[in-house]
Amino acid sequence: MNHDVLLRSSGVVSGESDLWCTYAAVRTLSWLGRTGDLPSPETVAGFLASRRNTDGGFAWSAGMTSDAWATYYCTQALAELPADVRGTTGEASSAWVWSTLHADGGFAMTPGQTSDVWATYYAVRTLVEIYGERPPEALFDWLAALQAEDGGLAWSPAHAKNGTSDVRACYYAVTAWSTATGGRGPLPWNRERLTAWIRARQSTAGGFTFQAGDTTDCLWATFRATGALARLGERPRDPEGCVAWIRQRLHPDGSFTRWPGYPVPDVWAAFCAVGALRELGTDLDEVADGVVRTVLSFRTPQGGFTYRAPGFASDVLTTSAHLLAGRFTDAGARDALRWTESCVLPNESGVMYMPGRGSEVRCTLWALSAGAFRDDAPARAAVADWLTDAIQNPDGGFGYWEGRASDMVSTCAAAEVLRLTTGEPPAAALHGIAGYVASCETEPGRYANVPGGRSTLRATLQGLRALHRATDSADGARVADALARHRVRGGGFANEGNRVPDLLSTYEAVLTADVFGLPLDAGHLAAFLDSVRTADAGFAWTPLMATSGGPLADCLGRRLELRLSSARHALPPLALS
Amino acid sequence: MPTTDLTQIHDRVRTVLEKRFGDAARALAPDAELSAALPGFDSLAALEYVSAVESEFGIEVDFVADDVRYWFSTLDRTATYLRERIEDQAA
Repeated sequence: MNHDVLLRSSGVVSGESDLWCTYAAVRTLSWLGRTGDLPSPETVAGFLASRRNTDGGFAWSAGMTSDAWATYYCTQALAELPADVRGTTGEASSAWVWSTLHADGGFAMTPGQTSDVWATYYAVRTLVEIYGERPPEALFDWLAALQAEDGGLAWSPAHAKNGTSDVRACYYAVTAWSTATGGRGPLPWNRERLTAWIRARQSTAGGFTFQAGDTTDCLWATFRATGALARLGERPRDPEGCVAWIRQRLHPDGSFTRWPGYPVPDVWAAFCAVGALRELGTDLDEVADGVVRTVLSFRTPQGGFTYRAPGFASDVLTTSAHLLAGRFTDAGARDALRWTESCVLPNESGVMYMPGRGSEVRCTLWALSAGAFRDDAPARAAVADWLTDAIQNPDGGFGYWEGRASDMVSTCAAAEVLRLTTGEPPAAALHGIAGYVASCETEPGRYANVPGGRSTLRATLQGLRALHRATDSADGARVADALARHRVRGGGFANEGNRVPDLLSTYEAVLTADVFGLPLDAGHLAAFLDSVRTADAGFAWTPLMATSGGPLADCLGRRLELRLSSARHALPPLALS
Repeated sequence: MPTTDLTQIHDRVRTVLEKRFGDAARALAPDAELSAALPGFDSLAALEYVSAVESEFGIEVDFVADDVRYWFSTLDRTATYLRERIEDQAA
């Protein structure tokens, strides 16, 4: 059934370009020597450049804060484009990357966050390959501490102590080392044990999985495994079987699909298949034309790429937003929910932003809030197990996805997901959440997004809600204090200070007040909604913008309207940033 | 007393925009929509623009009551808004 649901894609299409898709498309074309096939590379460059922030870093989408992931993808993809369209990446970006260096020698996704191997990989590649700079010597000690007892590499030194090895962590760590040393420095790990662990992830069918115990081979794991082995000067246990398995993923339309049984050729499958075949030294000519033709069909009018043919490129956040705003007919809502529920990987039980991408905590919360798995107790239990058994970090918090360092948004989202999926989450998981929230407290009752960060309204409300959900230990008076500090006189709430209200902070303010049973000032909220309502019946993120902020903003605004109605509809427990 | 001369207010607002947007702001038509005419004029830039205008003219904008998305959408409208605010302060 999932096969047809995914193929037809009954979710909602945002129509926007996506950064990861755009990076994967450009890199794939580059590996095939075909960036010259891009009809208008200047529009791709324009899309990538639009992600640049004034601090010199790049963000996943315009208006968000810079992170190492987006900065690498943007700068690397720009570097692949013709020189006359790419512009200058500038010294400021290098300075921003250095600002993510953690005292332990690794790099963090954002300044001040805990280091992890995802961020370290992106930062090292950006520094060395884009800016020609050298990472610090302390990097190698940090990388060395990633080797777990089983010989594989983990997301962070703390994860290694818990023994969570993953093929992606192996690839990111080995590539960071290889990039920093040119592959000539001393290897910071036991080579034999590392090689053996990666090779053992290859199944008899020929493909690889991410972790011991995973049951379904996938192209992403196969690409990362072959890449890690190549940088170690090694090969898979069965290279011919691996090439054959990859070729079996070739769709009649000319490009690749991610795993056996998954029906849609997407940009990541093309990226992973071409990348893996390249690592294995296989001739790419035979597949090049089909892949190029397919990938180029994923371009959007915004200038970049999405993951499949744009008319079918639904995503979970947009679909959930439409569901939560009541914008479907009953039949349409059922189809959209079925599509949302199909956005789960074979080896990960959370919901993905886009099918084939990787489960994300916030997307899972939006999907569940929209009704996904409402009548499927085993699926809800699997989501809870995914959170507590697979992706909760050693510090007790949660990151955006597996292996990402913890942050308050994801930790609060995880606490809400646990409430929606299980009656009795494991006590250790709840205590872990409380411990992480405590580490983000800047002064009594005030919280930051990461330990050592600056307190904001949203982080404070998320921290107090997470504590309430996890241990029922939060104090409503703290919520009232935070709301009073950030209440904007004319209407709404501000994330910082009390002058510029925004939709997201106001939504979280009303949601948290309701959770703690605090009174709502309806006139104050109505005045704010009037200031962000747009001519096209949507909602802007702030009173400064004249146009709708898109489906997510429209959803939050609509839910606040429903909260103000005589029926006083409860707000879903959404978190976004 | 602060000037209420619209031309002078115009010039000062344009200088504010030039600091962030350079040549694009120098060539800006008085009635051009800032979000369309200035590359990168997104919600963050709009907030920075209002804050810089507040600082330049020593005023405090009410983000909810003042219809900021209208008054700060073009150079002309910003100047008109500022003249009224300056006159109100002088009254």
